Amino acid sequence: MNRTIALAAAAGLFGTAASAQDAYRIGLSGALTGPTAGSYAPAIEGFQLYIDRLNEAGGIDGHPVELIVLDDSGEASRGATNSRRLLGQEDVLLMINASLSSTFAPMMADASRAGVPLLFAASACPAEVFPPAQPLFYCTTAFGAVYDSRATLDFIEAQAGSDISLGLSAMAIPLSRGEIEAAEGLASERGMRPQAPTIVPPPTADYTPFATSISQAGADWVYSWAPWVTEVRTFEALRRLGWEGEYIAWAHLEAEGELARLQDPGFHAIGANSLFAEDLPVHQEIRAAAEAAGATYSPDQMAEGWVAGLVVEAALRGAGWPATAESVNAAMSQLDVDTQGLRGGPIQWSAENHFRATQYYRVYRWDADQSAIEVVQDWTPYTVE
Amino acid sequence: MQLLANIIVLGAIYALISCGYVLIYRVSRVLNLAHGELMMVGAYLLLTTAGMIPNPWIAIPVAGLLSLAMGALVYLLLMRRMTGESVLAAILTTIALGILLRGVVVIFFSAAHQYPSVPLGLHASSVEVLPGARISSLSLVLVVVTALVYGSLFAFLRLSRWGLRMRAAGQNPLLAAQRGINLHGIYAMVWGIAIFTGSIAGMLISLDAGLDQTLIMIGLKAFPGALVGGLDSLLGALVGSLIVAAAEVLLIQYVNPLLADVVPFLILIAMLVFRPWGLFGTREALDRV
Repeated sequence: MNRTIALAAAAGLFGTAASAQDAYRIGLSGALTGPTAGSYAPAIEGFQLYIDRLNEAGGIDGHPVELIVLDDSGEASRGATNSRRLLGQEDVLLMINASLSSTFAPMMADASRAGVPLLFAASACPAEVFPPAQPLFYCTTAFGAVYDSRATLDFIEAQAGSDISLGLSAMAIPLSRGEIEAAEGLASERGMRPQAPTIVPPPTADYTPFATSISQAGADWVYSWAPWVTEVRTFEALRRLGWEGEYIAWAHLEAEGELARLQDPGFHAIGANSLFAEDLPVHQEIRAAAEAAGATYSPDQMAEGWVAGLVVEAALRGAGWPATAESVNAAMSQLDVDTQGLRGGPIQWSAENHFRATQYYRVYRWDADQSAIEVVQDWTPYTVE
Repeated sequence: MQLLANIIVLGAIYALISCGYVLIYRVSRVLNLAHGELMMVGAYLLLTTAGMIPNPWIAIPVAGLLSLAMGALVYLLLMRRMTGESVLAAILTTIALGILLRGVVVIFFSAAHQYPSVPLGLHASSVEVLPGARISSLSLVLVVVTALVYGSLFAFLRLSRWGLRMRAAGQNPLLAAQRGINLHGIYAMVWGIAIFTGSIAGMLISLDAGLDQTLIMIGLKAFPGALVGGLDSLLGALVGSLIVAAAEVLLIQYVNPLLADVVPFLILIAMLVFRPWGLFGTREALDRV
């Protein structure tokens, strides 16, 4: 984080003076600090590492990428200030949001007025990127509303059938509640018996009272789609109450380390990013970059940032030189990026679809016999329509 | 029975945090709005000591002593300079301190969720405390520690010479000073004890649930308990915390979990309207806020 803060400070203080005339200039506003920073800062660091590595290799056709990073602490007002600065003073070609959904509205409004594309990376994908997509908004983040719940319920049904009582847990934020309420409807359609969602407030000293209501309602399976802290604390509280059911949660950045910490075969993590335990060449590359830079965060939390880097590089290459916001947007609206195994397939964008043509899901859990993470269900594609 | 166990655990968490608010207010009439941040720093001190000495019997006491020193230093280096200034200035100073600490913690420890229990080799198991009621072993430790802290504080304030001096300084600082009581020494000790108890709460919570900046918000959620009970009453902090915890747990179970976040503050507003000095507080004390 020292490095991240220093970069942000340097960019903030000297960003304009240090600008190179021949650089592609892009700007990022993200939650580097604040209570939710743990969900975004590792991805931002991964993205910075990717851009650093790109510049060290000569940039894009000889032009470096100048990345201006500003901290918004997950606050809407600071997000608005950052986007006005990035657009009004820094003249960026592309804005990136890596923060809470509360920062979306002001950044989207500013990006629309300026005609500059806005990429959501590590932050939730807003409805505007799904078909029919609005022209300037794009998203590389792994999770996608409704598709995640559909894939999760398909998995539960494949494992246990539909004659089950399903507990549902969300955090008291609009995004999480909306997804879990959607899951409640989908579960009912399949003949499952969903409980009323248990909505957990963000600052919670003890998750046991929430777990008690889920446990006493007799849940066979519990599905949680929320920030990691809510997902994992609810599970741990359930286990301490003696609950012996199966649990499935969205695999956020923290999932890999946490599966190894929990070592509970009943805890499943469903996600769209591959885990570093697979040790693909791209994983080795990220590890090496993180080690060389003395990164603050664990490399296994940087996949989101690296995927965003792959996409931004492809977009800037497609835009050519000299690039404008219009040419970058034109390149992004017909992008096809090989994710090198970080995802189950490529990220493909079209004029109508700025999420991805196909979303791939995998399910992981802890294998007690092997003392390692195992893939319970391999990549399963879902067409995004 | 499970609900009763849940109320006791949550009440103990709030009580252990809120006694720090009460101690400082009772003796120095300063509302410390950086208590949540100082509590979080105490937990990060444990993360540091656990990384250096992976033995809970050493790492936790060392972190506790460091937090005691931190509290005394906050008074000696910062709050002492507020002597003679308005109460509002002192409160604003604590707010500024809190903002500073949030930034410093991110710079030194990152924003990642971390587990002091891992280097210490501690693992929370499930314990049946009442028939059909289970809690984590670390929650049980927290309840016991809260009981010990309150018992020790009651005894210290009522029976020891330093406790009597603290009460005297809180009731009439001018008269206490004229009687030869070193007010700055008393205030430094109170800040040290208050931050120590808050830090112990932060350490135990982080051992059970991990550590990040959301601990600050948990510190803030304990504040209604102190106000409901009466900001200058330790007994009030204990009772107020149990009332708030009971309201939260019962609403989660029987009404709507979402109300858990709102109701402590609704109880607080109701208390401020009908009995602003709290259940066990004194009207005179509140007038000074």
